[in-house]
Amino acid sequence: MVLFVARRLLYLVPVLIAVSLLTFLIASLLPGDLAYVILGDQATPENVAALRHDMGLDQPIWVRYFGWLGHVLQGDFGRSFRTGQTVLQAVTERLPVSFELMVLAEIMSLAIGVPLAIACAARSGGPFDRFMTGSAFGMLSVPTFLSAILLIYLFAVELRWLPATGYVPFGEDPAANLRFMVLPALTLAFAEWPGIMRVLRSDMIATLQEDYIALAKAKGLKPSRILLVHALKPSSLTLVTITGINIGRLIGGAVIVETIFALPGIGRLLVGAIYTRDLIILQGVVLLVGAGFVLINFIVDMLYAVLDPRIRHGHA
Amino acid sequence: MKAAIRSNALARIFLVAGFAISLCAVPASAQKQGGSITMGLELDIPGFDPLKVGVFDTAAGTAAAAIFDTLTTLDDKGVAQPKLALSWTPSEDFKTWTFKLRPGVKFHDGTPFNAQAVKENYDRQKDPANKCRCAFYVAFMHDVQAPDDLTVVFNLNDPSVNLPAIISPPGANFVVQSPTAWKTKGDDYNRNPVGTGPYIPKSWAAGDRMVLEKNPDYWDKGRIYLDRIILKPLPDAQSRFASLQSGEADIIWDDESDADNIQRAQKDPKLTVHTYAGSGAAVAAFNTKVAPFDDVRVRQALVMAIDRKKMSQALTNGLARPASNPYGDGSWVKCKDDGALPYDIEKAKALIKDYGKPVDFKMLFTATPRGRAAGQVFQQFWKQAGASMELEQIDQATFVPRAFMRQFQLIGWRIVDLADPDVQMYANFHTGSPVALANYSNPELDRLLEHARVTADQEKRTEDYCAISRHINKEAIWFWTFQNTYYALSSARVKGLPKMYSGVVDVSGVWLE
Repeated sequence: MVLFVARRLLYLVPVLIAVSLLTFLIASLLPGDLAYVILGDQATPENVAALRHDMGLDQPIWVRYFGWLGHVLQGDFGRSFRTGQTVLQAVTERLPVSFELMVLAEIMSLAIGVPLAIACAARSGGPFDRFMTGSAFGMLSVPTFLSAILLIYLFAVELRWLPATGYVPFGEDPAANLRFMVLPALTLAFAEWPGIMRVLRSDMIATLQEDYIALAKAKGLKPSRILLVHALKPSSLTLVTITGINIGRLIGGAVIVETIFALPGIGRLLVGAIYTRDLIILQGVVLLVGAGFVLINFIVDMLYAVLDPRIRHGHA
Repeated sequence: MKAAIRSNALARIFLVAGFAISLCAVPASAQKQGGSITMGLELDIPGFDPLKVGVFDTAAGTAAAAIFDTLTTLDDKGVAQPKLALSWTPSEDFKTWTFKLRPGVKFHDGTPFNAQAVKENYDRQKDPANKCRCAFYVAFMHDVQAPDDLTVVFNLNDPSVNLPAIISPPGANFVVQSPTAWKTKGDDYNRNPVGTGPYIPKSWAAGDRMVLEKNPDYWDKGRIYLDRIILKPLPDAQSRFASLQSGEADIIWDDESDADNIQRAQKDPKLTVHTYAGSGAAVAAFNTKVAPFDDVRVRQALVMAIDRKKMSQALTNGLARPASNPYGDGSWVKCKDDGALPYDIEKAKALIKDYGKPVDFKMLFTATPRGRAAGQVFQQFWKQAGASMELEQIDQATFVPRAFMRQFQLIGWRIVDLADPDVQMYANFHTGSPVALANYSNPELDRLLEHARVTADQEKRTEDYCAISRHINKEAIWFWTFQNTYYALSSARVKGLPKMYSGVVDVSGVWLE
């Protein structure tokens, strides 16, 4: 097991290097010169040349990459030229918001998707199953910016049950925090549950055709017990994969949802950095998010190994 | 006890109201003390240190108007009135201005406000070593001196007859910040601003709320009513409006591209639409040194092919106000004849035909949905006149250098709302200025611009500026599409919002009914 973990960790190194290289390249290849952005109306040719020299922008790209990577390895991701905040400050301030949003969205999509999948699988091909697979397909096609506005209109403007925008830190007032988080998390969950439901449903239908289920039925076990105890667990392996991948999707979805609901999370930080050409924040955040995604996938890999001994011991 | 407090508060309201009547004959609506409002802004505020942020955007402007003071402020008619300065006198040539400061004012950190502090603010912006993006806007000042504690002298490179109005906006250049604070806080100062203003920042979570609390020692307590102002960035226009409807925000920033919601708010008795018809306009400049715009007929034809009413309908449900000169209804420059070319598609076609060669060109816009929409409307108009325009959209970072280097044929630009036309008109049209985008030079135009900036008499200046407008319109080197209109939407309880000069929604003096 230790060897397995060590080998997997070793795989991470080239992946992380690739992430850092891509991040740096994308930020460097964007049109527009950082010196012009910083200088604005002061951008005379002499000033631009002087600033480019100060910032090392006149050096070849690989020198800049290794210089940046060297600082990153020492924990110095740089400082925004606009706000004066360091990347780490900006990220640690905003990470709790995005993390909470992600966790709540994941819980909600599981809470909607799993029961529906079980209900569909129990009577596969029946009217409920057909209706739900149809509407899941429909929900999958609704973009988050649309469902967000519809939810706001319904719950905040018409019914006035929940706030439309805003945020209170969890530590300050947990109840208020959750009130603010419900709609954004629900918006994200709306896009995620159909995937969960469809995958779990088809896995369960397959499991329900196994011989041991027939045996359980023959023994006269209650259908609910068969579904929840005998069929659910073996069918949930793919669910773990989907949940892991979803986290990456949720980071993408969070950019839009955080903007609409005005949540001060990583997504908003990223959008702001793009609009203001704050490349230092941009490349720092993308690198951290990318590294986070890689780590989460690593953890999912480990979970497989825990759930399925074949992976742990196999030579695959 | 409760009753006592209430009657005390009532007495204070009457006192305040009476004061207001006796002093400036404001209608005596009872201005209630206390309460708090939440304002929804369009953008995240990056900070307040001019060396870091360069200029304040509209969101930072709202916060700056509450945290800081300026030397002067504009009254309802656009005339400069005392704020941190009590009085001012120009030299005869309007190149030196002496301001007397208000005594006994302190910054929030206890630092005394004095002439030295004002001088240090300007010195810091102008210091070449600081390479401040803000320096462009104070380039017309040679230096600022502090001969004694309460006297500030502005020595200008060029004459300015209206300096007290020009330095009134709560922008990065003109708010007075505490020198002690930026020296001791260094990089952290940007997000921990210290001013002399009516509200003190209590907390600020990045990307979320900024909480401002009433300054108990403010020098002008009489005009401050709210205990607390909360500023929140709400970047999405739809959810920003929903937040106003549902009561999470009491007032929100808005603009014409959100015309649907503005018109919805106009019909809603629970909401108030605040508008300010500012000076300036959305404009465009032809590069008169390159074909086909080196020929005046082509420029005139394109200008005459624009149906601004139809364009306003298409882009903003008719909210946007057509512009026929660079000044607009919000300016004190009112022209009987501004020389605007009429909308005349037949004449436009004839001019293009007369020119004889095909008119194919590119127009440069910033990469925003608004820029694209406007560009597509232009395309249609010009196609009818027989010209073909290709839309080129680039982001702000490359847009400004392209403009400075004149790498364009036709470029979209803006004249912002300022108290005096001089600064922008001179920069935009005088020979040799870095933003004289049309590459156009004319001795008569230069003479008019120079004359207007050294003439104190407003009527004579108006004549100059109207002659300038006629000249530009006739030569069609720039054209104007829509005047600047600024919007804020609020709950009907919010009262006392002043004119949104320079597009800044200043909520520091409002009260709740």
